[in-house]
Amino acid sequence: MDMLLYRGCTTPVRLPAYEAATIAVLEKLGVNVIELKDTNCCGAQYVESMDRMAFASMSGRILALAEREEKDILAICGACSGSLKTNKHFLDHDIRARDEVNSLLAEEGLKYSGKVRVRHLLQVLAEDIGFDKIERAVVKPYNGIKMAAHYGCHVTRPYEIVHVDDPENPTILDRLVEAVGGQAVDYPGKTRCCGGPMLAMDEDVATTIGLDKIDNVTKAGADGIVTACVFCDIQLTQVQFGGGTSDRQKIPVLPITQFLGPALGLDEDMLGVELNKIDPHSVIDCCGVSQ
Amino acid sequence: MHTCTTKGQEKSIHVPTSAFAKEVEKVEGGEAINKCIQCGICTASCVVANATDLYRPRRMIQKIILGLREEVLSSDQSWLCLNCRMCEERCQEGVSPAEIFLAVRTIAAREGHVPRVFKEAVKTVLEDGWMLKDAYTDFQEDEREDLGLNPELHMNNEFVGKLRKRYFERKKAAEESGS
Repeated sequence: MDMLLYRGCTTPVRLPAYEAATIAVLEKLGVNVIELKDTNCCGAQYVESMDRMAFASMSGRILALAEREEKDILAICGACSGSLKTNKHFLDHDIRARDEVNSLLAEEGLKYSGKVRVRHLLQVLAEDIGFDKIERAVVKPYNGIKMAAHYGCHVTRPYEIVHVDDPENPTILDRLVEAVGGQAVDYPGKTRCCGGPMLAMDEDVATTIGLDKIDNVTKAGADGIVTACVFCDIQLTQVQFGGGTSDRQKIPVLPITQFLGPALGLDEDMLGVELNKIDPHSVIDCCGVSQ
Repeated sequence: MHTCTTKGQEKSIHVPTSAFAKEVEKVEGGEAINKCIQCGICTASCVVANATDLYRPRRMIQKIILGLREEVLSSDQSWLCLNCRMCEERCQEGVSPAEIFLAVRTIAAREGHVPRVFKEAVKTVLEDGWMLKDAYTDFQEDEREDLGLNPELHMNNEFVGKLRKRYFERKKAAEESGS
């Protein structure tokens, strides 16, 4: 299975380990990951807030690039997958908007017709690959380490557009944790936002929201957090370093593919583990050892 | 909307609306504004409202319904929404405050009410094609190479130039000429 990786803006610069771990894990599971070149920002949050058609055009161009390659898009950022899916839905239902976007795309020989799908990483892991295949690929199972799942708002909401999991009670990340021998830990506020999008307007409020989640996860007894969005991963890590947090025990935050990798026998170097701001060895060293 | 039954026919007795609510209703995302019954589940579900007294989504929707146009458009409130869509997930009337606030932002942007951080971020994206060109240094290139990733990110900035001309400069020109 071939998939076109749309990296977005933030992952390649701020969290390249997520990109590397995702490519390594997917290739291990039989997905051929090809980079989608010559892209632009999906338009999330900022252009999205200013002009509906400019937003639709930015995502529309990315979709059209994938259409030219005749392959589905793999998105690993919640904002990117949300924008691409929202705009695909918009352009598939509003012919006038689609014509307007296409008039701009025609200048570079591109066309949007709605042929390719946008798949968030969680859909690829749970549906295109499947839990059975992942379980069978485990060579060094975890010893029951307790992991809390953070899904990311735009990964699962709105369901009518994104079609990922159950937005009220998502389980894909939890099932992935358990597929490789971990123990999924539930906690209050699991589907709440990480606070990341608030960083632009009010950093204190963003941090309060993020730390509330960290507190809930810690109280539930988790040893680590797994994420499925670059912004969430960075936000839940960063809030643990802010003012007044020095006496806190830091809890490692890992993109889901970085957590899966060691259990599948992938080398740490391929997963970018040493780049994590909070050392994740307390988590990843728990695979391949007895309980 | 409150209704009563007269001789077996459902009849509307009160439709809270205003000229501004009708204006919002016509903008992409704002269609459901007049379906709001002000139950407050949006504020109760909101992580921002939970973290600060400065933000109350239900009250914002109420102000739109009441037609407080200038107050709503010049306020930062609509820009404080995280767009996390928890309220939308829970609203029993099918209203999405997140979508409504995006619609309000669009109207506010047309009239020049845009918080500085948003203005700057849009300017960057429309110039570079993406958010982090300036943050991408040799240091990150090395990190990528060490991870076996392509250090050349191949981001396109020509297309956004067309969008800037078509959707942003035209608006600015209209504003300046007072039309």
